[in-house]
Parts: sequence; C-alpha cells; structure tokens
Amino acid sequence: MGLLVDIKKRIKDFTLDVAFETYGDYIGILGASGCGKSMTLKCISGIETPDEGRIVLNGKVLFDHVKKINLKPQERNIGYLFQNYALFPHMTVEENIGIGLSCSKTEKEEKVSGMIASFHLQGMEKKYPNQLSGGQQQRVALARCIAYRPDVLLLDEPFSALDSHLKEQLQTEVLELLKLYHGEVLMVTHSRDEAYRFCKNLVIIDKGSSVLFGDTKGIFEQPRLLAAARLTGCKNISECEVMSPQRISAVDWDITLETEKTVPEKTKYVGIRAHEFEMIDADRAKEEKNTLKCRVSNIVEDVFEYNIFLENKILYKVKKVEWDSIKDKENLYLKIPEDSILLLEKQK
Amino acid sequence: MDLSPILISLKTASAAIAVTFLLGLFVASWIVKMKSEKTKMVLDGILTLPMVLPPTVVGFFLLIIFGVNRPIGKFLLDFMSVKIVFSWAATVIAAVVIAFPLMYRSARGAFEQVDQNLIMAARTLGMSETRIFWRIVMPLALPGVAAGAILSFARGLGEFGATAMIAGNIANKTRTLPLAIYAEVAAGNMQTAAYYVIVVLVISFIVVVSTNYFATKERKYIK
Amino acid sequence: MKKRIILILTICCLILSFASCSNMNKTEGSITVAAASSLKNCLDDKVIPAFNAKYPNIKVQTTYDSSGKLQTQIEQGASVDVFMSAAMKQMTALDEKDLIAKGSIIQLLENKIVLIVPANSALGLTAFTDIVKADKIAIGDPESVPAGQYAKEALTNLNLWDGISVKASLGTNVTEVMNWVAEGSADAGIVYETDALSNANVKVVAVAPFGSVSKLIYPVGIIKGSENETAAKAFVEFLRTDEAMKIFKTYGFSAKK
Repeated sequence: MGLLVDIKKRIKDFTLDVAFETYGDYIGILGASGCGKSMTLKCISGIETPDEGRIVLNGKVLFDHVKKINLKPQERNIGYLFQNYALFPHMTVEENIGIGLSCSKTEKEEKVSGMIASFHLQGMEKKYPNQLSGGQQQRVALARCIAYRPDVLLLDEPFSALDSHLKEQLQTEVLELLKLYHGEVLMVTHSRDEAYRFCKNLVIIDKGSSVLFGDTKGIFEQPRLLAAARLTGCKNISECEVMSPQRISAVDWDITLETEKTVPEKTKYVGIRAHEFEMIDADRAKEEKNTLKCRVSNIVEDVFEYNIFLENKILYKVKKVEWDSIKDKENLYLKIPEDSILLLEKQK
Repeated sequence: MDLSPILISLKTASAAIAVTFLLGLFVASWIVKMKSEKTKMVLDGILTLPMVLPPTVVGFFLLIIFGVNRPIGKFLLDFMSVKIVFSWAATVIAAVVIAFPLMYRSARGAFEQVDQNLIMAARTLGMSETRIFWRIVMPLALPGVAAGAILSFARGLGEFGATAMIAGNIANKTRTLPLAIYAEVAAGNMQTAAYYVIVVLVISFIVVVSTNYFATKERKYIK
Repeated sequence: MKKRIILILTICCLILSFASCSNMNKTEGSITVAAASSLKNCLDDKVIPAFNAKYPNIKVQTTYDSSGKLQTQIEQGASVDVFMSAAMKQMTALDEKDLIAKGSIIQLLENKIVLIVPANSALGLTAFTDIVKADKIAIGDPESVPAGQYAKEALTNLNLWDGISVKASLGTNVTEVMNWVAEGSADAGIVYETDALSNANVKVVAVAPFGSVSKLIYPVGIIKGSENETAAKAFVEFLRTDEAMKIFKTYGFSAKK
C-alpha cells in the first residue's frame, strides 16, 4: 500500500508539478519557502484541488481529473498537522483530541484518554490551547490527527513554530510518538536537518516542480541537481566548463579539477561541501591532484567552528581545534577528495 | 398615556430580529464561501444598500413590490387574498429590510475573522460543513454576531420612513413608537411625545451598552 | 490692540444689521410663506408666479406641511412671514399666543372635504356614509391635520366616528393621506375637494353631507415681528384680488363669503 501523487496546479507565479510515490516510509518534501510544498499537502488532503492529475492512497482514488473524482477532505481519512497547529481555541484539550472521532461516547472517552496518556498530557485534559506551551500544543495537535487512525499523516513544517533550544528535544519526542502511528508519514520542511533526521525518502521541490525523488542519504551524498545541492546545504557551488571527460574548470573559483570517473556532458555546475576539504602541507600539494592554496580572505567565528572565506570565494568550515593546531598557515593547502566533488546539472 | 405604540414596536422589532438574525447568518455564510471576488463585491453592495439609502427610498421600493396596484402586490391580493400594505406584517417587513444590512455585515465580518486554518483543519478531521459552522465558526464568531443582532434589533425598533409608507399609521395595529412620536409632535403634544422618546432612549441605551459589552468581552480561552 | 479690533468689528456688525433693517419699508427682499399642504399646487403653480409678475423684486420662499406642524414650528420660532392654515384652529392658537400681527387675520378661502377611493376601485361606494364598507381607511390625524379634524367632525355627526377611528390610518398631512389612497394601500380616504381634483389616481365618491361639518375656512395672517412686513402685506393684499381669486377657484376653492 502507498501513496501516489502526480499533480499539476497553476499558482500565481509558477506551476506546481509534483510526482512521487511512497510505500509506507517517512517521506520528506524539501524545498525553499514558497516553492509549493504546503500547497502539495493541501492538494493531497483535499483542501485545495489540483488542475489535473491523480492522487491515490492505499488503492483508493482521492483525486482523478480525468475520471472527475475529487473526494472532499472529510472523505479522505487523512491527518493534517498544520504549521500553527490549528487547535480549536474554544475547546479543551480533551475536546480537541476527540473531535475527529465518530464513535459512541464511552469509546470516545476511552480513545481520548489513551491518547492523552501516550502523549504525556495527563492533567491537562480540561485546559485550553492558550494555556499550553508550544510543545504541549504540538502534542495535542498530533494526538488529534492520529486519534482516528488516518491512512496518511501530513506534517506541515512541524518544527518551524518552536523555539530553537526546544527543537532538538521535541524532535526526538515527536519521533518517538510517531511510532504510535502506523501509516504513511509525509513531512514538509525547509530544514535539511529535519529532512535528514526524519525521512527515509526525499522529494526535492524547486519552484513548484518535484525535481528529485529518492533515498534521503543518497540524495545528500550525490545531489546530482543544482537545486538539490543548494537545498541539502552545499555552500560552495560554481559554474563549470567541461574541458575533457575527466577535467572540469570551476569558473567562479578559478581552479581546475580532475576526476577518475567520467564527467557527464550535461554537467553545468560543480559543488563542494564546506566541511569536506582536507588540510595538507605544501609537499603533498605538489604531488596530489585537486589542491589549492589556502589564501584566507576573512574568518568568521562560530561557536564550535570557523568559517574560513578564501580569496577565490570558497568557504571552508573547520573545527576550531583543528584550525588552531596548524602552525604554518602561510603554506597551507586544501585538498578536495574526489568523492566530495559534486557534479551537478541544472534541473530539467 | 397610550402604551400600544410601545407594545407594537416591541412586537415588530422582536419578529423582525428573529427573521433578520437567521437571514443575516444564512446570507453571510453563503457570501463568505463564495469564490469569485467580483460577485462578492457586487452582491455585498446590493445587500448593504438599504442601510445607506434614505428610508423613504427603501419605502418607495417596498411600495413598488407590495403596493396593490403593482404586479407582485396585485398577485398576492388576487390569488392569495393577502394585502401586505397597511398590515402589521408590513411593519415587520420594513424593519427587516432596514435592519438586515447591519446583521449581514456584522455576521460576515465575524465569520471572516475566524482563522481559515481552523476551518481547513476541521475539514481534514472529517467534520461536515454544517457541524463546522455550528461547532467551530459560530462559537468563535459569536461576539460579532451577537453585537450585530442587538444593533439590528435597535435599528428595527427605530424604523420610521419606510414603515409610514407601506404600513400606514393605524392605532393599535401599525402605529409604532417612531410614528407615534412624530404624530404627537405634529399635534403639539410635546409631553406625550417626550414619554415615548424616553422609552426609546432607554431601550437604545441598553442596546448600545450591551453591544459594547459583547464586543469586548474577554473569553477565557482567547489570550 | 486686540480689544480695539474687536470693538471696531462689533460696531461694523451693528451698522450692517441696522442697514439691513432699513429694508423694512421697501417692497423688495424676500418673504417666507408657510401654508397648508392643500394649498401647495395652486400657490406654487399659479398664484406666486402671478404675484411675482407684479412684484418681481419680492422673492417668495415657501414651506408646506400640515397646519398643525407649521403651527408648532412657528411657535418654536421658525422665521415665517405669512401663515396660511387650512383651519381657524391653528391660526387662533397662534393668535392667542400673541404671535400674529394684530388685525392681520383674514378669512380668505373655503374648501370642502370629500370621500375618495383609488381610481380603479371596485368597492362600489356611492355615498359619503359608504365609508364604513371600506376595510383600510386613511384620514388626516385630527390632532394636527385640519382635514383630519373636519373628517372627525363629519363622521362624528354622522355617528360613524367610533367604528372608523379604530381602523383608520392617520396621516400627518393631507398629501400623505392622498398618496395612501392613490397607491391603493387604503381603500378609501377623506381629503379636501381641491386635493382630489388635482390627482388623477383617485376619484371622488361624494362630498361631505351639508350640515355634517362646519365651514372649512382658510385664513391667512402675518406673523408678528416679520422682518419684511411691507412685502408680506403686499402678498396678502394680492391674495384678495380678483385675479388671485380666479386662480383659487380653478383649483376648487371658493371665496369666503
């Protein structure tokens, strides 16, 4: 069983064109703000209607433009966690959690108290949302949309509303709580950390189009597309010219790179993650390929690392301890391991 | 002093608010759901007109509709033996038409203030549209709706121009407080008029104070 | 310095106000005539234009309403120069309050009241007393409208008042009564003969029976303290001329004998 999405929708400045399929894993939708991620969720849930395409959930057709099928949100049995939780302010925690349940009174009470126990909300049953902390509100919202066992759970940037010092802790808690739910989980986020942490598979959306879909770790290692590289946090991206099947010139950085593997013809950009340079001395630099002199233009200090901005616009992030241990910074060179060279195409 | 104008006015205003309240809620929720912005604007303009037009203009249109020499009025008379003009029902109709825009606008404003995300969430949780309206939208919109209802009641109570034109001034039947005040002043009975005026003042004052109370009332679950 | 400016300005204002007073003895300027609704058509359409043909420098401003309302307005200080009411009652009331220039009251015209029905009425009323057959009736408010007073008087003398008064719609001026009947909202009404004749949407059923109602006298008087007494007097004098009377007669009024 799984979720199939293949939709198109004209939105103000661009066209949403998203296609992917999932089979029961956690899948993340990663993209910049305003690229259509939330709209995708809204289309899946039925709150918005695509212009064309199909949405099939566990074999049930939710939307089919050609066959003129368009189930109302009420009929789709999905759970939707809104970014701002959308808890009903005039209802208590109990009432909020139970609102999606349609069963006898005793059954409802049972299920609700079960949820309250699982989500560590004891003692707060009669409180109103405005009396709860951000984390508590999130748990209530999550409980509310899991209570009636939906076929798929849609999370819309679930952690963006939280204070950063709580985020880590809450993310772990939520991960635990999600284990209580046994269905598809679709999470929209603009944070690559969240995507990496939570989602086994990833859909990358760039300006409305789903450009990449696949295993999360694999995408991070080899983004293959410019948009994917950016979204997965690659800080060094340069236009490149393919000089020969194993040589490329990184135009913005004024360096040449050589590769063992053949460079695909469509390669237009090259990327190197800021953490992946290796510090070497002058002797090694003479003998090895893909090295450059470390000419520092500016250093910005973070809590645990330095951001070394080189004169040729490359950014090198290095742990403070490591950098400080280098005595001869005048003759310092950086090596780019071949595996770290990301050959990127512009999206189709 | 003749108390009948007070009773008639209260009767009329009560009947009018019952009709106006339901009509206003229904129309407001219908307009709010509309997708086309242009249609919304045009309809909103038409529905707000009676509030902005001089009551005599409204009376003119009501006459065109219900007058016995006019198509609709004639039809009602010939086929249903119903004559609206000069009847108590006419006072209610005049009050409803004049007060409706107030109720409609208040209700619409209150509905639009409700966070759309809540309605979308309710849909995903499987609540039917009717249930969403009564369990989510109405409770949250209640202060605005209540204030609108109270204002409409007062406006219906004070209706004069259109009432005189279609309901006439029949003692114990269609002579409302405003008509009675006007007649007493015309006759030079300033003292009688003053008594009626005081009644209207007291009711209006209560109305204004309650409206403010409802509009600003703090509810325990809203920050 | 400031005090001096204020003093000079005050003196200028006083001089100007005295200057305008000197108009009192000229036949020019403007006068305000307050008249009963039933006089509106003939005054506006024919009488005042004829007056202006003779006295082009006198501007006549008019206001029409029920005599009762006009009486109240004059009592409250409205700046009116000439008052023409549809009954002696209002004129006498003002006279008793010493608001009318002594000796200026003249009983000018006579009118009659009639029973009217909408032009397309199928009720089949033929006599004044047939009014009881109508369901919705319109008359002027006897407390403030002379036509209403007379209607009450006539109906009382015919022993019909009690039955009629409970179902009658009381208009605050005769025009309102006329319109109710013309629109068909009222099945029958009582208005002045002069009004009925000038509206094609109503038809006259009958005149009030002789003896059922006292004479409908239209007096005219000059308000005391009128700013332009000369012009006001000229207007009143004109109303008594043959020329004016001829016009009044074409509208259905008769001269008070």
